[in-house]
Amino acid sequence: MYTTQKKMVIPFEIQTEITILRPSIHARRANLVVKFQDLYGFTVEGNVDDVNILNEVREKVREQGKAWWAMEANKGANWYFHTYASSIALTSSLRFSVLVNAMTLKKLIRKGIPPSLRPKVWFSLSGAAKKKSTVPDSYYDDLTGAVSDKITPATKQIDHDLPRTFPGHPWLDTPAGHAAVRRVLVGYSFRDSDVGYCQGLNYVAAMLLLVMKTEEEAFWMLAVLLENVLVSDCYTDNLSGCHVEQRVFKDLLTKKCPRLSTHLETMGFDVSLVATEWFLCLFSKSLPSETTMRVWDVLFYEGAKVLFNVALAIFKMKEEELLMTHSVGDVIKIIQDTTHHLFDPDELLTVAFDKLNFMTTNLSKQRKKQETVVMAELDQRLRRLNTSKLRVNG
Amino acid sequence: MGCSSSLPDRSPGRVGGLNPDNGGDSDAKNLRVKLVLLGDSGVGKSCIVLRFVRGQFDPTSKVTVGASFLSQTIALQDSTTVKFEIWDTAGQERYAALAPLYYRGAAVGVIVYDITNPDSFHKAQYWVKELQKHGSPDIVLALVGNKADLQEKREVSVQAGIEYAEKNGMFFIETSAKTADNINQLFEEIAKRLPRPSPS
Ligand SMILES: Nc1nc2c(ncn2[C@@H]2O[C@H](COP(=O)(O)OP(=O)(O)OP(=O)(O)O)[C@@H](O)[C@H]2O)c(=O)[nH]1
Ligand SMILES: [Mg+2]
Repeated sequence: MYTTQKKMVIPFEIQTEITILRPSIHARRANLVVKFQDLYGFTVEGNVDDVNILNEVREKVREQGKAWWAMEANKGANWYFHTYASSIALTSSLRFSVLVNAMTLKKLIRKGIPPSLRPKVWFSLSGAAKKKSTVPDSYYDDLTGAVSDKITPATKQIDHDLPRTFPGHPWLDTPAGHAAVRRVLVGYSFRDSDVGYCQGLNYVAAMLLLVMKTEEEAFWMLAVLLENVLVSDCYTDNLSGCHVEQRVFKDLLTKKCPRLSTHLETMGFDVSLVATEWFLCLFSKSLPSETTMRVWDVLFYEGAKVLFNVALAIFKMKEEELLMTHSVGDVIKIIQDTTHHLFDPDELLTVAFDKLNFMTTNLSKQRKKQETVVMAELDQRLRRLNTSKLRVNG
Repeated sequence: MGCSSSLPDRSPGRVGGLNPDNGGDSDAKNLRVKLVLLGDSGVGKSCIVLRFVRGQFDPTSKVTVGASFLSQTIALQDSTTVKFEIWDTAGQERYAALAPLYYRGAAVGVIVYDITNPDSFHKAQYWVKELQKHGSPDIVLALVGNKADLQEKREVSVQAGIEYAEKNGMFFIETSAKTADNINQLFEEIAKRLPRPSPS
C-alpha cells in the first residue's frame, strides 16, 4: 500500500510561456479582465496590463538566470554554498574574497533566484541540506511510512484542508497533489508534535512542493523554516510566536510611518487584521506566486526579519492612499487590491530592501519585550475562559 | 427586498469624516454594521459569506487563516440599506485567541455549526458564551445550523438548535450555503433585529 515517494519528481513544469495577448486599444479601454496561468500554474485574473507585466517579469527572470549561470561559470557550481559556509564560519580572519562573494550573493538573491535554480539554492542556503545530513538517508521514507495510517486531530484537520488548499491548481488539486501535500504535512506533524498541524502550513507546504519538486526536499524545507528560519512557536498551540511578531511589526510601523500608524489607529484598524495571514502563510495566500517566491528567496537567506521588510513595504507603497481612508473596510480593500496585483516582484522588493532602511532596530530586543506581554495576555485569556467554564458547569 | 451588490459602496449621506469602527455608526436610513462569523473549522463560514456576497457556492473554498474581510449591502423593505462589514474568522482551535480582535465592536455575531457534526454544535455554545461575556453589550447574536441540505446525515436536531437559541435569546436559522437555502433570510432577519439609531 505504501510506496516510496521520496524520489518522485512532481510532474509539474514551470510555465515558461503564457499566451501573449496583443491587446487592442478597445480591450485596454474596456479594462477587460482575463484569466491566465502564471509561472507556477496558478490561475490569475487581471487586466491586459497585468498580463504584460507578467511577461516582462518572465523576461527579467531569464536575464537573471544568465547572471547566475555566469557566476557559476566564473566561480564554480557551488560557489554560493561555499560563500555561505565560510561567511557563517564566524572567523575573524574573513578573507576579502569571501566578503565580496557574500555581498554579491546577497545582492543576487535580492534580485531573484531563477526558478530552475531555486530548489538547489534554497536547499543549500537555508540549511535544509545540513539538517537532512544529520539523520539517516531513509528518515523521510521511514517517517511517512510509519505514520501513514495513524489518525490524530492533526491528520483529521489536514484531510479537511487538502481540497481547500489552492483549489483549481493543475497539479496541487489532483489526487496525486493532495497525497503529496498530505504526506509532507502529516510527516511533519509527527516530527514536531508541539506544532502538529496549523492551518496556513497547508499553503506553505504546497508552494514548497511546487518549487522543490520532490516531497523529501519540500519536507526538509518546511522543517528548516519552522525550526530555524522563523521565530519559534509561530505555529504551535497558541501561536504565541506569531502574536509576538505582530506586535513587533505594529511598533515598526509606528516608527517608520508614524502618520499612517496614527491614522489607522484612529479608525480602529489593527495591523494584525491583515498581517496575521501574511506572516502565517508567508504571503503565499496574498501575493502572486512569483512575487511570493521572490520574498522566500530572501527569507531563506536573510531570515525572518524579511517578513517585516515586506509587510512594511506594502503599507509604505500605499501610504498616501491609506491616509485618505475613512473606514477599516476601505483600508482592507486597498491592501488586498495592492497585494493581489503585485505581479512585478521588483516593485515590492525595491521598496522593501532599498527604500526602507529600518533595520537599525534591534529585533531580538523588541521580540523579547513583546514576548512577556504576549505571554501575560494569553495567560489571562486562558484564566478568564476557565473561570467562565467553571461557572457553566457549576 | 433582497441582496444587491450594485448599491454604492459607501452609503450615501456619509461623505468624509472619520468613521470609528464601532458598528453602530450610521444614519437612520443607511446602517453600517460590523458582523463577525465564528465557529468550528469546516462548518461552512466562508461558504456562507461567499454565497451571500457573490451569490455562488464554491465547493472548493479556501482554508481561512486569521480572518478574511468582505462587505455586502442589502436593501430592506422600508427602504433602508444595511451594509454588512463581515469578518470571516479561522476555525482552528489555536486561532481562538485572535477572536477578540475581530469581535471587538461587532454589532452582530453569527455563530455557525454543521448539523451533521455534534462537536461543532458544542463549539458553537462555547462561542456564544464568549460573546455574551466579552462581546459588545448590545450585540445581536444569531445561531446558524449550516449544511441543512445534508438531511440524511443530520446529527443535531432542529429542536436542539431552537432550544439552545431560545434559552440564550438568539435568533436561530438553518441554512445551506450549497443550495442557498435561507442564506439571504439569515442576513435580512439580522438586519431587522438591529437597534436603529433614532432619526435626526
Ligand atoms: N453540503 C454542504 N457542504 C457545505 C456547505 N457549506 C460548506 N460546505 C462544505 O464544507 C467545506 C468547508 O466550508 P468552509 O466554508 O471552507 O468552512 P469554514 O467554516 O470557513 O472553515 P475554516 O475556514 O477552516 O474555519 C467546504 O469545502 C464546502 O464544500 C453546505 O451548506 N452544504
Ligand atoms: Mg473559512
